[in-house]
Amino acid sequence: MAQEPPPNLVDAFPGLAVTPLETNMDDLLREFLTETTESLDVADVELVKFERDPNNREILNNIFRLVHTIKGTCGFIGLTRLAALAHAAETLMDKFRDGIPVTQEAVSLVLVTIDRVKLILGDIEASEGQEPQGSDADLIDQLLAMATQPVAVEAPIAAPAADPVSLVPAPIRTEAAPTGGKLIQTLERELLPGEVSLDELERVFRETPVETPQAKVPAGPAGAPAPARRGDDDASPTSSIAAQSIRVNVGTLEHLMTMVSELVLTRNQLLEIARRNEDHDYKVALQRLSNVTGELQDAIMRTRMQPIGNAWQKLPRIVRDLAQELGKQVELEMLGSETELDRQVLDQIKDPLTHMVRNSADHGLEMPEDRRRAGKPEKGMIRLSAYHEGGFVIVKISDDGKGLDIARIKAKALENGLADEAELAKMSETQLFRFIFHPGFSTAAKVTSVSGRGVGMDVVRSNIEAIGGTVDVQSRAGSGSTFVIKIPLTLAIMPALIVEVSGERCAVPQNAVLELVRIQPNSEHAVRRLKDAPVLCLRNRLLPIVHLGRVLGLVPEQSEDTFDTGLIAVMQVGNESFGIVVDSVSHTEEIVVKPMASVLRQVTLVSGSTILGDGHVIMIVDPNGLAQHVAARSESLAGQAAENGQANAEAEDAPVSLLLFRAGSQEIKAVPLSLVTRLEELDRTRIEQVDGRAVIQYRGRLIPVVRADGDTGYEKTGVQPMLVFSDDSRVMGLAVDEIVDIVESRLDLELASASAHALGGAIIDGRATEILDVSHFLHLAFVDEPETDRNAAGGRRHLLLVDDSAFFRELIQPVLRGRGYAVTACGSAREALERLASDRRYDAIVSDVEMPDMDGFRFAEAVRGDLGMTRVPIIALATANPGLAIQRGRAAGFTDCVAKFDRPGLISALQEFACAAEGEAA
Amino acid sequence: MKTCLIVDDSRVVRMVARRFFEGWGFDTREAADGAEALDACAIAMPDVILLDWNMPRMTGIEVLRQLRSWPRGTTPKVIFCTTQTDPAHIAAAIKAGADEYIMKPFDAEILERKLVEVGLIATVDA
Repeated sequence: MAQEPPPNLVDAFPGLAVTPLETNMDDLLREFLTETTESLDVADVELVKFERDPNNREILNNIFRLVHTIKGTCGFIGLTRLAALAHAAETLMDKFRDGIPVTQEAVSLVLVTIDRVKLILGDIEASEGQEPQGSDADLIDQLLAMATQPVAVEAPIAAPAADPVSLVPAPIRTEAAPTGGKLIQTLERELLPGEVSLDELERVFRETPVETPQAKVPAGPAGAPAPARRGDDDASPTSSIAAQSIRVNVGTLEHLMTMVSELVLTRNQLLEIARRNEDHDYKVALQRLSNVTGELQDAIMRTRMQPIGNAWQKLPRIVRDLAQELGKQVELEMLGSETELDRQVLDQIKDPLTHMVRNSADHGLEMPEDRRRAGKPEKGMIRLSAYHEGGFVIVKISDDGKGLDIARIKAKALENGLADEAELAKMSETQLFRFIFHPGFSTAAKVTSVSGRGVGMDVVRSNIEAIGGTVDVQSRAGSGSTFVIKIPLTLAIMPALIVEVSGERCAVPQNAVLELVRIQPNSEHAVRRLKDAPVLCLRNRLLPIVHLGRVLGLVPEQSEDTFDTGLIAVMQVGNESFGIVVDSVSHTEEIVVKPMASVLRQVTLVSGSTILGDGHVIMIVDPNGLAQHVAARSESLAGQAAENGQANAEAEDAPVSLLLFRAGSQEIKAVPLSLVTRLEELDRTRIEQVDGRAVIQYRGRLIPVVRADGDTGYEKTGVQPMLVFSDDSRVMGLAVDEIVDIVESRLDLELASASAHALGGAIIDGRATEILDVSHFLHLAFVDEPETDRNAAGGRRHLLLVDDSAFFRELIQPVLRGRGYAVTACGSAREALERLASDRRYDAIVSDVEMPDMDGFRFAEAVRGDLGMTRVPIIALATANPGLAIQRGRAAGFTDCVAKFDRPGLISALQEFACAAEGEAA
Repeated sequence: MKTCLIVDDSRVVRMVARRFFEGWGFDTREAADGAEALDACAIAMPDVILLDWNMPRMTGIEVLRQLRSWPRGTTPKVIFCTTQTDPAHIAAAIKAGADEYIMKPFDAEILERKLVEVGLIATVDA
């Protein structure tokens, strides 16, 4: 490594010394644009943090450095307009470091400046390097004005005004005369405020004493000392720390991905051949090829992965600006921003995510005063979280705002003609919520500049579904909404189950498949029919099932579906679980997804095609499309169930005793045992007909008898099993064929029933069972009897029933109505408070104690305190430890406390208190 | 071949400087922050370091102070690189052991002259 003569610069880089950056300007410009955009995104985030925590030096230094770097690099590209703007911002940031107070206006101004820089960058990119015409004097003036606010700030060593030379506007470029003299760096522009002339700096540089003993005083060009001797420490001269990661063109990666896809296909072909030929020599090599291909595919996939935080980066700024504009206080929390997903997927969800966060801030969160009134902190919370689950990334956006407005959704659905009143009345909350994903559907009362133009959630949904994802919403009035997005990790290659149905093969994406169940008639895995819909009972769940061949149109229309053989693939798509019936499953394969031809796009059940190892082209079934198909079918069933008042099929967790019996058919039916007073077996000769209705003498009184199967006639002889229902004064008999058993079971009401006399279905001992609605039979039995005739005081008494369990509300309402009360049921304490706020004329309130969000105690306190309703009786329904509940309940304002399933107790409490309270209610 | 370490958190600046240095026949390495710079020096001490002042994790001045306290840390020529036009700042850099300073943005001519001044390039072609 001898001394080399310095290369002739002009030869090596023609024109370098004059216009140094002309060569490869494109590369540099591209790098500059990328780097600056990244810096600006970070600066955005940091500034929002800074505004909240203005004393954090570290954040301030970060922002300062970013702006500083932008300013520094602009100069290399000759972007003077940008440089001037960045300089002004830097000057202000520097003043922050000196301690001028950080006001919201100041931060806003810097943010506006950043926006302007972005705008200019956009123009530069569009024009490939030309800085746009225009002036930023407005912003620069504001920035500098703010920076010179009268706050005691240490003056810089050489204040610009004190040095008239430095203000000389003309460029003072010393002629580049390299004749052994000094070449002084010059600025080819006017000095910016706050800058010192280079002469000044040069002077400082030359005059500063050097303290480090070994460091050389800058020497003149003549006295150039020999270069430092080299040691063995340069053993790895090419190692570069910064080069541990390199930037690769996206196009290159895409190409690699395509090649790997082809490799996977070829590998699959070879494996297919190997499957057919058992004995061969190349099996080991093939196995190895297969493994290496798999690893290669993983590695390429990893290069495409990016943290989801990249898509979130702009959100703090957006939320901050929005909060200011709307006069709200919003805290944005982001969890799991390091969760990685495919770049292509990330690009696709960036806009939907942004839109949804804006929506949460705009529509979800209330104004501070409303929040205070609702007993919540003034600052609203939006929480973004992301995590991996199976082959999916789950992204949740939740807010603690007011929740979706059901009434408005209904009104809007009517207005848009999406459903009529009757249909709406039948729908569950979940079904109603889904309306927000319809085109043109916005529930915002007024259109703001932010959102509310109704072009939002439908686009969000179609964007997410376009990449094989799902979006669902959960909401609770008063406590907020949560959107759950589920997206596949990658789009290009995915594991699939190759299934056969009606002689055709299809690919079913494996990440939607939970498990496979073999259909075995006469076993627990038999397909049953609940009404006309085929269902599979699987570990105490009822799954609607469809025949894949049927929905794909592979079997003739008129043929009857049989479910005696084959396999059921249990699928989970969003919140929807269902089963698809296939003839057989051949194997699993990593398939390369080929998008659908555009003419086939409207085929919603198929998402694309793929080439199998044996060369066949097969369709890829779209789990989303299937889920919609299944949902559409079960909604019509659920809708009818809603007629029975079972609007909300929430799960009731506590096991309930059920009486099982048969009536009319071999199917087991059930009623909650708590509603049954006695089980009787009576001689049929005792059944009499009075006015065309069946009655019996029972314990000294005449009670009506109704057949559970809907018939009216009775056998003349034999023994008639009968359930006796009573609620004090009303007693009736329900005639059944056979009383089977009493079991403890959880009621899921999963599949609603189509008939009027049933509440829905449940799984009992692995079997689909219909649960009968007792109120229906009470109604039948006392059809002519005016409901209020037993209320001597006259006038219907009005009760407010508060319970979060839909099941319990349905259970208790008929009992109360049967007693002549008018009942208004609420699913939450907040809903009840809202009702009371608008209408106080209730004779009594019956409230559950244990409820999510606001429990019964707090509810009672709110009624007594906030609403000032001191006299209305509130009766608590306690499930656990009634003693404790009574003690606490009295303090909270409960009048009485009864056990949840003690109906006579409740009735007598109501009689005692609701009548006594007449004064206030009237 | 002479070696050079370019220390700057901006890829753009490193890219520009690398072109210049490679044009003069330097073997060029890069570091994106102060800590990386010290690591790079620990592996192989360069002949010259173009050192940015304002970087994440560790400022240029801290790098310089640490480097100069190392046994062999005085060998590299250090050209301090900054946009900061504060004389006190330049003074601090010199005190910490910088051999030259250069203002951003710089061009090849200026940088070359600085290299001549620290004795790494013998002459400048007229």
